[in-house]
Amino acid sequence: MKNIFNPKSIALIGASGEKNTVGFGLAKNILEGKNSRKVFFVNPFKKNVLGLDCFEKIKDIKEKIDLAIIAVPAKIVKNIVLECCEKKVGAIIIVSSGFKESGNEKEEEEIKSIVKKFKIPLIGPNCLGVLNPSVNLNASFAPLNPKKGNIAFLSQSGALLDSVLGKSEEENIGFSKIVSYGNEADLNLTDFIDYLKDDVETKVIAIYFEGLKDGRKFMEIAREVVKTKPIVAIKSGRSDKGKEAATTHTGTLAGDYEVYKAAMNQCGVISVDTLEELFDSSRALASQPRSENGIGIVTNGGGLGVLAVDYCAEAGIEMPALSKETISFLNKSKEMEKVLIKGNPLDLIGDALSDRYGIGIEAMLMQKDINGLIVISTPQIMTEHEKNAKIIVEIRKKYPDKPIVCCFLGGKLVSPAVKVLEENNIPNYPDVKKAVKSIKGLIKK
Amino acid sequence: MEILSFEETKKLLVKYKLPFCRTEIFNSKEKALSFAQKLGFPVVLKVHAQKIFHKSEIGGVKTNIKDKEELGKAWEEISKNVEGKNIEGILVQEMLKGNEVAIGMKRDSQFGPVLMFGLGGIFIEIIKDVSFRIAPIDKKEAMEMIKETKGFKILEGARGRKKADLDKIAEIIVGLSNLSMKEENIKSIDFNPVMVDENRACIADFRIIV
Repeated sequence: MKNIFNPKSIALIGASGEKNTVGFGLAKNILEGKNSRKVFFVNPFKKNVLGLDCFEKIKDIKEKIDLAIIAVPAKIVKNIVLECCEKKVGAIIIVSSGFKESGNEKEEEEIKSIVKKFKIPLIGPNCLGVLNPSVNLNASFAPLNPKKGNIAFLSQSGALLDSVLGKSEEENIGFSKIVSYGNEADLNLTDFIDYLKDDVETKVIAIYFEGLKDGRKFMEIAREVVKTKPIVAIKSGRSDKGKEAATTHTGTLAGDYEVYKAAMNQCGVISVDTLEELFDSSRALASQPRSENGIGIVTNGGGLGVLAVDYCAEAGIEMPALSKETISFLNKSKEMEKVLIKGNPLDLIGDALSDRYGIGIEAMLMQKDINGLIVISTPQIMTEHEKNAKIIVEIRKKYPDKPIVCCFLGGKLVSPAVKVLEENNIPNYPDVKKAVKSIKGLIKK
Repeated sequence: MEILSFEETKKLLVKYKLPFCRTEIFNSKEKALSFAQKLGFPVVLKVHAQKIFHKSEIGGVKTNIKDKEELGKAWEEISKNVEGKNIEGILVQEMLKGNEVAIGMKRDSQFGPVLMFGLGGIFIEIIKDVSFRIAPIDKKEAMEMIKETKGFKILEGARGRKKADLDKIAEIIVGLSNLSMKEENIKSIDFNPVMVDENRACIADFRIIV
């Protein structure tokens, strides 16, 4: 795996200077890491690509190659794989499509047996490639370079990965590793999860998949991995295929998706329904500790507080009542005089300034059975968003075991505050429901 | 795909300690009657055949048979309804009262044996109020599976109903889990209904598909 995620040398077979080709996208991205590793281009029909001389064959390269990336037409892939194997490269990524996914199983099987024989790990075929932002590796034809972060993203689909990268830039999400694993001829999803278990840069593993090669093996590995790292997953293809068993009750009721959900739940994988949730949840998991059930809500707007309570109830999140001690702590404060109802949610009332927020948040976190907090801030004319954000950042240090997620809602009015939160690893969501769902993912089963 | 014979089914249920209502299979009305008298009325009659998957839909099931006359009539009717079909025989079974639950298993191509639990009747037919687990599971997990369903409160005795023995239901689920891990030739299983009261759970209808 080291050859894949941190190669000292890369050879791209099928490098191209023609814009709008896969070979060009790959060449361009790989070259961006040329200060971190040696880069070689192979293309018998080109002399030079993007300023780098091309080799005719991989065997013509004298240096050792850690990672070979193949982006040539499907019909010659097999021969290139063989050449790569004979060259004893460390690992191979086949980007080219036109294999199992389009009915060409035979060719894929042949390639598989070649790499097995040479014991060389293979990613793909039919994939986008691999990215490792922390070592400046973009061995993919993704249209942009994502930020460094601590979310690992594994995707069966390449195109979807592109969309996610586009969105992540907008939402300021960073990645530790990104793999588009394609047809899984050799290395499969489970192998990558297993590897990421011990990857220090990865705090949470996010997965998009359509199907699993071996569901039971996946469960076995996932069960181990989630002991130290959370896994969040989204699966597409929910329609019921279980027609064969449809003569029985169990058969008709257990659609693929229900079975999948049960399996994920059993092995401790958090399953979500939308891509947005996948990353909302991953952001929370990457930055916040996990906790027991029991959440407090602090708000300066009654309406959003009530909405949050509704969503919590739907999600099975408990909201402990304030204890006598908490209430008397609040009663002692002059700031709280106007707050007549002291409960959970704690509505600080519209005119709450930051001092009142500070006391409210502190009181909630002091209470033993409140294990996490949602802080809502709506833009009233006097609200001090940025100051609120800074207070949250400070108090969090005092209670490192209790997760905090925020819902600072108000577009441009709150964006400087959101920046403060994000810089300090406190996730903010522009919607109460998202905040609730994300904290739900933090609650241990 | 066919339904396992009654004798084979019985062997399996016994092997995995899965309790089922007292049942025997007959090809003669007279023998059926004498067994029914031994069990005590009311009884249930139902056809058992390799290829009849929906026996009640073709008139292959008669319940609440109260005496000799009714049994004779039910026997004739079932025989007529299944005429020309290849059947193994007609089952005579004691009729138990209680809550009805359904427990099942199917093999999934990716995850292997999947266990299902739900309350019987409308809960499973219409509301599809069921829970799933991938086998194997232990009793604790089986209990969680029961408690996950919305209809669970009914088993706990909501609205003055009699409480059901949840422990016994969980034992059946675990038994089915063990069976599904070992008997790989079995494609799917439906225990529907399983009759449950305060003291026991008993499989009334079994359909094992191989």
